[in-house]
Amino acid sequence: MEFDRSIIGREYDRADSEAVVAEELIAFAKAVGETAPCYTEDGPDLVGHPTFCLRYRGRKFFPDNLPKGLLGRMSFDAGKDLDLGVPIRPGDRIHVSSCVHDLYEKTGRSGSMSFVVVRFTLTNQSGEHVATIDNRMMYR
Amino acid sequence: MSKTFDAIEEGDELETRVLFLSKDQVRAFARATGVDFPRFTDDEGARKEGLPGMIAPGNMSMGLLTTFIETWAGTGSLRRLGSTFRGLVLPDQEFHLCAVVTEKDEAARTTELDTWMESSDGERVVIGTATVSFD
Repeated sequence: MEFDRSIIGREYDRADSEAVVAEELIAFAKAVGETAPCYTEDGPDLVGHPTFCLRYRGRKFFPDNLPKGLLGRMSFDAGKDLDLGVPIRPGDRIHVSSCVHDLYEKTGRSGSMSFVVVRFTLTNQSGEHVATIDNRMMYR
Repeated sequence: MSKTFDAIEEGDELETRVLFLSKDQVRAFARATGVDFPRFTDDEGARKEGLPGMIAPGNMSMGLLTTFIETWAGTGSLRRLGSTFRGLVLPDQEFHLCAVVTEKDEAARTTELDTWMESSDGERVVIGTATVSFD
């Protein structure tokens, strides 16, 4: 499949979250079996579990100009790469900037597969890097 | 008690964590993260999407692996986690959370891990690599 690689690296969405509240950080941490007080007890030391940031995805997951050959094909979440910065704290407002990071094809035993890597870059209200999340979507 | 950097050697295997993942845990996670779609909450709804039953979100598997790694290395120690979702994580069964130290960087005081989540029939449904830092 031909890819228009000019879409790579171009920001297609930006969004700001509501302020993070302690209860959602605690509920998330408990849901992944966490018991450490810094993730599960309200107070000045409370921070988000490292993977809490995976919930942020901006207003739209994909750009409007995704390659047309992918439309209508079955897609799967193939995996994620998470690079962490400062932890999320109650009161933070998370800014998400979205771009297509890569487009490529692979041929496996079940035939040809196309991959779209969507990158979300998260910063907090002070401009500090919270996380970079690369989402690999596979199309068959 | 988490591991100290000096006590770690390349090739060390983390003590495997055996976890029974219930459907209620998956539903709680889906609610907590705003992804309470049928595929993550209800067998019938998942089957309508062509799945064999409700599944756990990939993000939940990453969360479980992170908790497992940070229990070994200490809270706040994870710097990077890369994961590949190779199979469906079908709840109401036991999973094994596993990892091995593949590299130790004395100067940076970091370790690299291979990590994976294995179903009760031995299938590695999630595999990944992680970077962990130590004080």
